Amino acid sequence: MTVFVCEDSLDGILTGIYEAWDSRLGHGNVRLELDQEDTLELFCQYRPVKPDEEKAEKVLRTLRQRLGEEAVEHFCQASACQDPRKADALYRMVVLGLSLERGSQVIDCLTYDPVATVMELSQKTWHEAHKLMGFVRFTQLLSGVLYAKVRPEHQVLPFLAPYFADRLRHENWMIHDVGRGLVAIHRGNVGWILTEDKNLIEDQLLQVSEKEQKIQELWKTFHKSIAVEARINPKLQRQLLAMRYRPYMLEFS
Amino acid sequence: MQQIFVAEDLPLTDKLKILSDAAKYDVACTSSGTQRDNHGKGMGNCTEAGICHSFSADGRCISLLKILFTNECIYDCRYCLNRASNDVPRASFTPQEVCDLVLEFYKRNYIEGLFLSSGILYSPNYTMELIYQTLYKLRYEYHFWGYIHVKSIPGAAGELVEKTGYLADRMSINLELPTTEGLRTLAPHKTRKKILAPMRLVQSRMQENKNELTLYRHAPRFVPAGQSTQMIIGATPETDYQVLSVAENLYQKFDLKRVFYSAFVRVNEDENLPMLPGGPPLLREHRLYQADWLLRFYGFQAGELLSETRPNFNVLLDPKCDWALRHLEQFPVEVNRADQGMLLRVPGIGPKSAKRIVRARRMGAVGFEDLKRMGVVLKRALYFITCSGRMLYPVKLEEDYITRNLLQVKEKLPFDLEGQTTYRQLSLFDDCHIPYGEPGVQETEGQVLEAVRSLEAVSSMGIRAV
Repeated sequence: MTVFVCEDSLDGILTGIYEAWDSRLGHGNVRLELDQEDTLELFCQYRPVKPDEEKAEKVLRTLRQRLGEEAVEHFCQASACQDPRKADALYRMVVLGLSLERGSQVIDCLTYDPVATVMELSQKTWHEAHKLMGFVRFTQLLSGVLYAKVRPEHQVLPFLAPYFADRLRHENWMIHDVGRGLVAIHRGNVGWILTEDKNLIEDQLLQVSEKEQKIQELWKTFHKSIAVEARINPKLQRQLLAMRYRPYMLEFS
Repeated sequence: MQQIFVAEDLPLTDKLKILSDAAKYDVACTSSGTQRDNHGKGMGNCTEAGICHSFSADGRCISLLKILFTNECIYDCRYCLNRASNDVPRASFTPQEVCDLVLEFYKRNYIEGLFLSSGILYSPNYTMELIYQTLYKLRYEYHFWGYIHVKSIPGAAGELVEKTGYLADRMSINLELPTTEGLRTLAPHKTRKKILAPMRLVQSRMQENKNELTLYRHAPRFVPAGQSTQMIIGATPETDYQVLSVAENLYQKFDLKRVFYSAFVRVNEDENLPMLPGGPPLLREHRLYQADWLLRFYGFQAGELLSETRPNFNVLLDPKCDWALRHLEQFPVEVNRADQGMLLRVPGIGPKSAKRIVRARRMGAVGFEDLKRMGVVLKRALYFITCSGRMLYPVKLEEDYITRNLLQVKEKLPFDLEGQTTYRQLSLFDDCHIPYGEPGVQETEGQVLEAVRSLEAVSSMGIRAV
């Protein structure tokens, strides 16, 4: 068995798929893994894969053509999910999909375990992204920039950024993934990029104007007074809005 | 312009407190039904599925800035906190204040848009005009393209309602109570006709708008997310069957997108209002919502779920299980062959999993393990399905046996049942015939018919758009 160890990123996994396929060892004799797993198996040959943009692009183009947009969407979402099973499941899905006459049917093969896994992971990522579309809270800094902190379980910034880029297209904003040290930066009317957060100056992220504080107070007031006392139900609230999101939402701080 | 006589100079925080507090008994806070990208000018877009931005302490979603324009009201509806005879602090926003709040909140991603309702200030037309002005300012001065849900005021002129509809995504007018009789006792200033006429108007205008849009793709859109309404449950003695029949009629004859049910909360001391020692009837509300979903997404009809002889929902089982148990002759269903409609009738299978099953079985036979991964609740479904001719366990297809087993699968309710129902120990010799409905609520066939008929009367009166 040959194990291809790839980086935990879309490009990393795509390159892994390219290398595994290109090795011509036979699909049954290869496996994909993420590089964070540390227990090595006996009788396995480990081959580290360096992410390569060109190879990744090639694979992605093939997937677009042969499996269709919907499958690619699930592919990308699953690759953003924080789950060690994803690399190999994605590889198996691609192998199956390219063997089908109509590749777009691959996402219907829910009775095939790797496809079921991919769909499950894709859904997980999408759920969190969808939740955060609501739960992200921007604070307007003195410079006028809207700044939000999040700590998502999955890598959702690539899905959040285009959404907010359309919604707040004239604003300058940043969404900061504190856990991963990444930040999506949007410049009004121009576009957005995803980059590391090394260059953020922490002091400037704390300064807000008096007006900002007043608006935050207004929101807290609203959040409190909109609840019906006769129906208070913290259990239900917790179910729908997990505690892990709350540190970054001002109405709960 | 006339001056609003109470505390014009109230600070914004106090106004927001009063006017959101006054709006909280309105149930709808959905932001679904419109898909709209940013136009390139201004701020905002809409997502078809709707987005929840927060959850309040009662566990309800906060999606829209839900406020009243004013809580002044010339009407005296018994159940309402803002009725004319109540001594509560009153306040009114100005259109500018509403715009500022919406824009500042939206920019910070607190909200998905605005839900604007209002008490009736001076007259229905005056109030509707104020609402219209606010929306106009928001849409065309500030170019705000987020979601707007607006209430049409009962008794307001047709032209005003129509004008406002072009600015909003969703419009709603509350039916308040399921029967004309209930409305007469509890909301003496509102009549059924006053409520249904604007509903009809919006419906026919939406229909015309559909035709316009097929001709001109960029024609202005009228209430693109449809209209909804709301009924108070438990303030008047209607049965579940009556309520559900009214809802079904609204869906069929008025093309409503949603009917909301609101468990009655006693906020006023009034001899005409019932005492509710156990708190608001949350379980009943929950059952009605479950049934409402069955009507809209599962192809059920009100008459299948309830009848004159069984006018109320089973307290212990959800309406779908309840139906399945009474129709065991249609089960078990073969998952690999049954059509989607029949799959949807199996307890434990929902619209999503039914669709997945239908797609997956084209590519290969589906087994129980696959069903589980597709999101089927096997604990409930296992009594009603076979996979390639086999059941999961050898089970008897017998009402008492399945009922007993289903009752052990604890139903996930959105609230604690304490003080709502009393559980009893099931014994081996129990035959589990569960009592239906609550004692003391006896309804006649006539009243159900009356509720439905009053709706039909209005639809046949042919109230048309002006």
